Amino acid sequence: MTGLSDSGMPAVGAKGPMSTLWLGVLVPPLVSFVVIVGFWEMAVGYYETPAYILPAPSRIWTSLVKDGGSILGHTGITFFEAVAGFTIGSALGAMLGTLFAYWRMVARGLLPYVIAANTIPVVAIAPIIIIWFGHGIPSKVAVTAFLSFFPLALNMMKGLQSYDHTIMDVFHVAAASGWQRFAKMRLPSSLPYIFVGLKLNVTFSVIGAIIAEFIQADRGLGFVIMTAYRTLNMPRLWAAMLMSALIGILFFALVALIERWAIPWHSSMREDIGS
Amino acid sequence: MTSLAEDTGTVCSKSQDPKVRFRRVEVIYPGEQGGEAVHALEGIDLAVREGEFVSLIGPSGCGKSTLLRVLADLTKPTAGDVWISSEAPRTARLKRKVGFVFQDAALLEWRRVLANVSLPLEIQGVSRGDRQARAHDLIRLVGLTGFENAFPRQLSGGMRQRAAIARAMSTNPEVMLMDEPFGALDQITRDRLNMELLELSQSQRMTVLFVTHSIREAVLLSDRVAVMTSRPGRITEVIDIDLPRPRTLETRETAAFEKLSRSGVQLLEQGFGSS
Repeated sequence: MTGLSDSGMPAVGAKGPMSTLWLGVLVPPLVSFVVIVGFWEMAVGYYETPAYILPAPSRIWTSLVKDGGSILGHTGITFFEAVAGFTIGSALGAMLGTLFAYWRMVARGLLPYVIAANTIPVVAIAPIIIIWFGHGIPSKVAVTAFLSFFPLALNMMKGLQSYDHTIMDVFHVAAASGWQRFAKMRLPSSLPYIFVGLKLNVTFSVIGAIIAEFIQADRGLGFVIMTAYRTLNMPRLWAAMLMSALIGILFFALVALIERWAIPWHSSMREDIGS
Repeated sequence: MTSLAEDTGTVCSKSQDPKVRFRRVEVIYPGEQGGEAVHALEGIDLAVREGEFVSLIGPSGCGKSTLLRVLADLTKPTAGDVWISSEAPRTARLKRKVGFVFQDAALLEWRRVLANVSLPLEIQGVSRGDRQARAHDLIRLVGLTGFENAFPRQLSGGMRQRAAIARAMSTNPEVMLMDEPFGALDQITRDRLNMELLELSQSQRMTVLFVTHSIREAVLLSDRVAVMTSRPGRITEVIDIDLPRPRTLETRETAAFEKLSRSGVQLLEQGFGSS
């Protein structure tokens, strides 16, 4: 048995020093940020655009810093609602998706209604949920959970059904139990689908929280946006919009980071292994 | 049972039961949506001795793979009896007496080579230390030393198949079933793996049923070659391969090898003519 030279292995870790990598990744977006914000600031100053049409970046910044404490508090509440709703909705969605994947009759019986419910505009269902769950934070979490339920339910079902049939045969020959087939094979092979669902849920959960706050709230970013709009406090509105984008990005980055850790073997993660 | 011995050309002494025995085995797949039922296997009689290497060869759709799948309890025979060490396929499977290597390596992409090779032992409930020790031995045996921590996608096709063979051997099965394991490999890799399989099957005294499209591969590796025809899938002839062992790639250049290959090809062509 001679050594292996069937064909070469792709070089692992064949990338430059870390400093070069970070320069390449971080510098381009920083440069474009400076250019865009600089141009915006100058253009608004030059044309003397009124703030209610387009506030200068410096005025948005001032508004953010001036009552920074207050906006940060509202951001925290919205972030909490989004994360809590995301977690509850994703957990319930994962359970229902698993049910659908294993019991075809359950899927046949319920899937049409699940898809129908998924098409309900959130602004139509949110008032109903708020009536059910009251005026506090729980109702905002419930709206968010409702939105982040479907993407994971459907992707979980699809993921659990999309295993390799030869691998299933391998498990059969090895006399694996139903639980072993689920835990060691169907669940891991569905992870790429699960993360597609989770990433959709990140976006939906932030939208869900803010829309619920639009409809009824006395705090949170949706509430800030609403009151700033009514008083035409445009710099404050822009500041709230920036913060909602920020929590979305932060949340997404968190899930993407977990994804990198959980499925480094998947093709979508391949760039970081060279080749 | 004298007719069985005649049919298959096997001489079984009474004291030693065959490792694998088929008696009048028939597999009929029901036709899909009003289509005609498919006779995948009909009247299969075959006995394989312990330590024997038997190849199955024939045109596509002759039931070669179905024959292996019946042994592994992946397909139920419609009629007839099958024994592995005097046990039904299901019992033998639950006792981990059967190893199966598929054309596709079917490795779990999220597991490193070591964890892939030890998967059947993990399913069996063997302790971590024991199964890793066994996996290390097998990895050395199939020539994958140094790649224990590689992910499957970092391996070439030949290396993936080596890992699949090591995995199938992990539970120390009494019968090894190989369904065109080298069918997707290039000729040079295939030659090398043929040599290593020859060595392995001899040194480990494996009982092997090997499906292939290549008559030359079958002649090189086997003690006997069963030639099959399709529709219905039948064993028409069993050729004794009395080439001396140990065999090497040079065995293929001898006159005896050529003669056996030619008679195999003729039998195959007759099969094609009659169907």
